[in-house]
Amino acid sequence: MLPFPATLIAAGLIPLLADGGQFDRIVESLERNLLTPIPLCFLLGIICTRIHGGIKIPKELYYSIAIFLLMSIGFIGGHELAHEVQAHGVSTIWKPALVTLFLGCLTPITAFAVLRYLGGMSIADSAGIAAHYGSTSAVTYAVANSFVEQTQHPANEFLPTLVTLLECPGIAIALLIGAFLSAKERAAKAAAGTLGRPVKSSKLGEALYEVMTGQSIMLMAGLLVIGFVSTQFMDEKGFQPFYDFFQSKGMLFRGLLCIFLLEMGLVAGERLGDLVKVGPFLIAFGILMPLVHGFLGAWFGHLAGLNLGGCTVLAAIVSSASYIAAPPAVRLTLPEANPTYSITAALAITFPFNIAFGIPIYFEMAKWVGAQ
Amino acid sequence: MQLYPLKLVTVVGETLIMEEIAEEGLKLGATGYSLVDVIGLGSRSARNVSFAGEAKTRKLEFVVSAEIAVAILTFVSHNYFEHYACIAWLSDVSVVRGEQYLGKQ
Repeated sequence: MLPFPATLIAAGLIPLLADGGQFDRIVESLERNLLTPIPLCFLLGIICTRIHGGIKIPKELYYSIAIFLLMSIGFIGGHELAHEVQAHGVSTIWKPALVTLFLGCLTPITAFAVLRYLGGMSIADSAGIAAHYGSTSAVTYAVANSFVEQTQHPANEFLPTLVTLLECPGIAIALLIGAFLSAKERAAKAAAGTLGRPVKSSKLGEALYEVMTGQSIMLMAGLLVIGFVSTQFMDEKGFQPFYDFFQSKGMLFRGLLCIFLLEMGLVAGERLGDLVKVGPFLIAFGILMPLVHGFLGAWFGHLAGLNLGGCTVLAAIVSSASYIAAPPAVRLTLPEANPTYSITAALAITFPFNIAFGIPIYFEMAKWVGAQ
Repeated sequence: MQLYPLKLVTVVGETLIMEEIAEEGLKLGATGYSLVDVIGLGSRSARNVSFAGEAKTRKLEFVVSAEIAVAILTFVSHNYFEHYACIAWLSDVSVVRGEQYLGKQ
């Protein structure tokens, strides 16, 4: 088991660290990323839970900010997509879209394989966690986008479209793997006569339908279409107020993101106690798997023609794990899967890792593969 | 005043499964139900996955005849006890104008 993380670290980071200047650049990048309001608010949330502090964000406010963030990402994404299509047709978009779909299908498989065959976790647990890692976190997108803008390397404008594309295939594929392999295992047990109770019919279709029509997708994809259509058919003056309200480079988006991350820090802080329960393998998984997926994101993004910011953001969203859309879907189809593993990994390990260290690392990875 | 003896079926469990149980209860013959958000803790609390904004646990109540009560409890125990955080119990109630709640026989 130990050789695996060791080789991963060697493969991923030695090229980066071989050059002494690279190391300094990573540290500088980390400082630039960590000492900014958004990650610091997250840290404040964690500290607050540890010292039993009294910050309490109303649930409805958190819920409302989530709605605004999702609508903004979709709306501005659709707007920029319209501009991109007007300027270049689909020539600049089809490759990134294809690459995103490919990675969306690949990441649940790699995650499942690592968990099941390297970590020895049960089929249900492996598939459940893989469903989280195959999907994406829109908040991670927002933070990554913020980062690349601060470093004056804004991502390609149509990136929100890729976020939307990344949401569903991962969950679906992981659940299908889980359902298929569970059924095989059950059949084998039945043949061997060791099966006890009769099996409940699968809720896979229902769960997938709920993912496709869930809040994240409906808001992001829906507003994407709305932003796209409005940009095409509305005059600029009429469109401006909508753009001003939703724009992701604006103070409203960034400010609300701070409040949102404060609450996420509170939630993640509560879950820190669960780290003891999940064990060292999952902790290592929560850090190393995103690095691997992130590298794939940066590399394929560059191959597809994304700029430096675009590759960084793509790496960030491919490496991120969903913790809103995935958990209910997994709970319905793979109830034997233990949510403590998946949610702790996604929320208490991968999300903080990405926010603090991952995003700057993906930035350096993107530079290393040659993106500009 | 006429009081009619009926059964109160109470199910407390993770939000995710409560609506399914409510719908199934209606199919099994209940004429209605009530659902409330609760705060609580149980041996399987860690298995509750919270949606953004929704309570993690809900309590569901049916007022039904004894036969329908048993049918509902059987359904819940067979389908949810194994993997989900869930508890169900039965109590006796006396309902004003309770004949209406006998449901489809």
